[in-house]
Amino acid sequence: MKIVAQDSQELSEEAESASLCSMFAGEETFGIDTGKIREVLGKRELERVPMAPAFVAGVVPYRGDVLTTVSFRALLGLPENTETGCVLVLDDDSGGQERFGLMVDGVGGVVTVQQKMLEANPCTLDAKCKWLFDGAYKMENGLLIQLDPQKLRPSRLAETGMFRNGGGGENA
Amino acid sequence: MRHGKRLSGAARGDKSLLTNGLVPAPDKRGVDDLTQEFIAESQDGLDRMERCLTELETRPQDSQQLVAEIFRAVHTIKGTTGFLGFGRLEKLAHAGEHLLGSLRDGRLPVTEELISGLLRLLDGLRAILNLIEETGSEGSRAGDEDSALIAELAMLNGEEAPSQLAEKPAPVVPIKVAEEAPSPASLEAGSAAANTQTSGSSSGDKTLRIDVEVLNRMMNLVGELVLTRNQMLQSGVESTNFPELARRLDSVTADLRETVMQARMQPVGNLFGKFPRMVRDLARTCGREVRIEFSGQETGLDKSLLEAIKDPLTHAVRNAVDHGIESPADRVLAGKSAEGCLRLRAFHQSGSVVIEVSDDGAGIAMERVLAKAVERGLVVPEQAKEMTEREALQLIFLPGFSTAAAVTTVSGRGVGMDVVRANVEKVGGSVELESKVGVGTTLRLRVPLTLAIVPALVVRSGGQSFALPQTALVELVYIPARDREKVVERVGASEVYRLRERLLPMVWLDRLLSLKNETEAHGFYMAVLEAEGCRYGLVVDDLLAPEEIVVKPLSAVLREIGLFSGATVLGNGTLALILDIAATAARAGVKPVMEEQEQEAVEVRQDEASFLVFEDRARERTALPLGVVERIESVPISRVEYASGRALLQYRGELLQLRDDGNVLEDMDGLQDEEASVTILICGDPQTKSGRMGIVVRKVLDVSDGNMLEKDAANGEMDLALVNERLTTIFRGFAGEVGKSWREVA
Repeated sequence: MKIVAQDSQELSEEAESASLCSMFAGEETFGIDTGKIREVLGKRELERVPMAPAFVAGVVPYRGDVLTTVSFRALLGLPENTETGCVLVLDDDSGGQERFGLMVDGVGGVVTVQQKMLEANPCTLDAKCKWLFDGAYKMENGLLIQLDPQKLRPSRLAETGMFRNGGGGENA
Repeated sequence: MRHGKRLSGAARGDKSLLTNGLVPAPDKRGVDDLTQEFIAESQDGLDRMERCLTELETRPQDSQQLVAEIFRAVHTIKGTTGFLGFGRLEKLAHAGEHLLGSLRDGRLPVTEELISGLLRLLDGLRAILNLIEETGSEGSRAGDEDSALIAELAMLNGEEAPSQLAEKPAPVVPIKVAEEAPSPASLEAGSAAANTQTSGSSSGDKTLRIDVEVLNRMMNLVGELVLTRNQMLQSGVESTNFPELARRLDSVTADLRETVMQARMQPVGNLFGKFPRMVRDLARTCGREVRIEFSGQETGLDKSLLEAIKDPLTHAVRNAVDHGIESPADRVLAGKSAEGCLRLRAFHQSGSVVIEVSDDGAGIAMERVLAKAVERGLVVPEQAKEMTEREALQLIFLPGFSTAAAVTTVSGRGVGMDVVRANVEKVGGSVELESKVGVGTTLRLRVPLTLAIVPALVVRSGGQSFALPQTALVELVYIPARDREKVVERVGASEVYRLRERLLPMVWLDRLLSLKNETEAHGFYMAVLEAEGCRYGLVVDDLLAPEEIVVKPLSAVLREIGLFSGATVLGNGTLALILDIAATAARAGVKPVMEEQEQEAVEVRQDEASFLVFEDRARERTALPLGVVERIESVPISRVEYASGRALLQYRGELLQLRDDGNVLEDMDGLQDEEASVTILICGDPQTKSGRMGIVVRKVLDVSDGNMLEKDAANGEMDLALVNERLTTIFRGFAGEVGKSWREVA
């Protein structure tokens, strides 16, 4: 009986807190649920794909597959970084076999956040960022913007048609 | 009296079928493993039965064995269904078994009606099996058709035929069917059968039967791979036995690859097996008499490729029966036997598999093709008038072309040869068509052995690597920077290159892909490519090594670009995109060209020939007509062997004599270098394919056009030619008289 009670308590705590992997792009800090990250590949040189949509940073070999990698900077409408970015491998849990990569400027560490610290997107956010962002956690040292990997999938991004010619506000 | 009893029995059977169909209905979640296995097994059995039935018709002498086989298939189904509780299936199978039993005991002769009836039984069984696979129950909606079929089978068995029909003469079977089932229904049933047939094959696409032996070998090799990895991890890169481990890894990988490929190989016969029945049915519908012949059924082809060519091949066979082979009356008028012959041939040819569909029908009438093309607006009448036979045949591959005078149920629905060609080219193959009016038509599908691994040339452009499939590569041209202005000419805005006096459109890969142009001073390369009838020169910055690449699919977003057919990891660990040659041509606006122009050009220049120029003795240029050089091989010196003072080479299971007039081998032996290799030209007479020999040369210099000089006293009766305006000796004659014809030159 006792053990069961403990378990349920832990569960409820877990439900309230989440562990995110923090990452950086431009000036801001972002986070993705660690459960949805398959691997952090670190700094990688990508093979560019000519004529690809602007949000595709290139392709990278990963365990016998060729991963299409999304450039997060391009999605935000930031200019291309001269340094090589960090590549994360994200899993597609919607049943499809579509693994993909996400390139950011750098990867931080695992941060545990409380659900109650999450706040929804501000209503003034432009459409593109509304699509990309999934609310923000109010951390002590600034905001951590949550991302939903499902919405970063290359095929979804292509479907929305918002990021065809480079993301961001002014850049488009 | 017996008759009445029988009918009531059938009626009662229907009722029980109804309830039977309803009872398992609540459990519609799916099909359990046991049933799944039963379905797969039964489908196999039915496939076998189908094959045997069509064979039975053509080879009645083997009937005993064939009937036994068919009987077994039906009997197995009957036995298992009873156990699984599929009453409807059991009943039908039982009726079939009963009839087959009589056939086996020799109480019935093999007639066309009988075989038609058995084929209908086969369709019926298959339809029920598919229904079970889809819904989990055998259903009851087509129960009436069953009883009709069962009654038909019983009648074929010579049992209680219904009295009103018993008085009619023999060919009552089709009439009876027409009476019992209204024609729209029977048509529907037919199309349903066709549909289920395709769905059945699609579920079969996902499974593959593999010899346990092969699987064991694979497992062994994987074990070997793991062991090697462990050893490598333990020993580290610096260890002395690392090279040996790397070698072992290499051989294990190669073996594993071969074994996996072998497992994927399926005999083409699996595909051919479906045709006898199809041809039989088609021949009926179109009123033709067709015999089908196979050869090379055992030729292996990758499973995925086999699937890919299934539709094109089916289409080709349909075309051959419907359009190719004439009606028996016409054939007799044309002085041919009433029965047309359709031949399906599969064989290996230079690293690819060729599948031929040939008929001895009417051939393709050029006038009709041209008239149709003009009517469809594919060519203007003036163009049509000037077209040669081969050009006109190419028109058939254009979209929206069909020569069928009327749209029949069989073919001529606008899905034409263009789809056949597109499908075959999608897997890296090609299609050729040959036709002679009154003699027949041959369609040749050429497909690579396997899809997963293709030989490719890796090139660089704009700082990126790209892989070009070797199948599309015709030749490579190097253009030095200083010649650029001279050789690149302009027609309007487009740039062209004069390749052997023909203008070749040039496509700059970096410009096409809007890559950053890193212009190098040294010059550039042009790969002459050909795909879907388009020939163009693709300009790239540099050539890297030819490599066997493993094709990896791209994600949907990148496939949409339409220029890349995949990606591959190169030997150095970087990625290269595989260029889709045909799509690149289309993107660059290259239009298909007609091959004839080239042929004519070749004829005009007959006195001029192409030569392979090489150096055997120092300072001396010798040339061979390009036509006789089969290959240029680089052979390790250790592989050259000697017998009674003569140098010999074991080459592809053949012993080749080596000619070494420049004493290259002696010089090489002097170097005492085990690793050294010599260049050997493998030559043979292209016509007779005999008298092959190897010529040891120091260096291959060039391939060039040249003019033969006339033999006269001035040049000492030697075979000389001017190649690139330099005097060159011609090496000639090796068919048979190798020794004598070798000319000495000062």
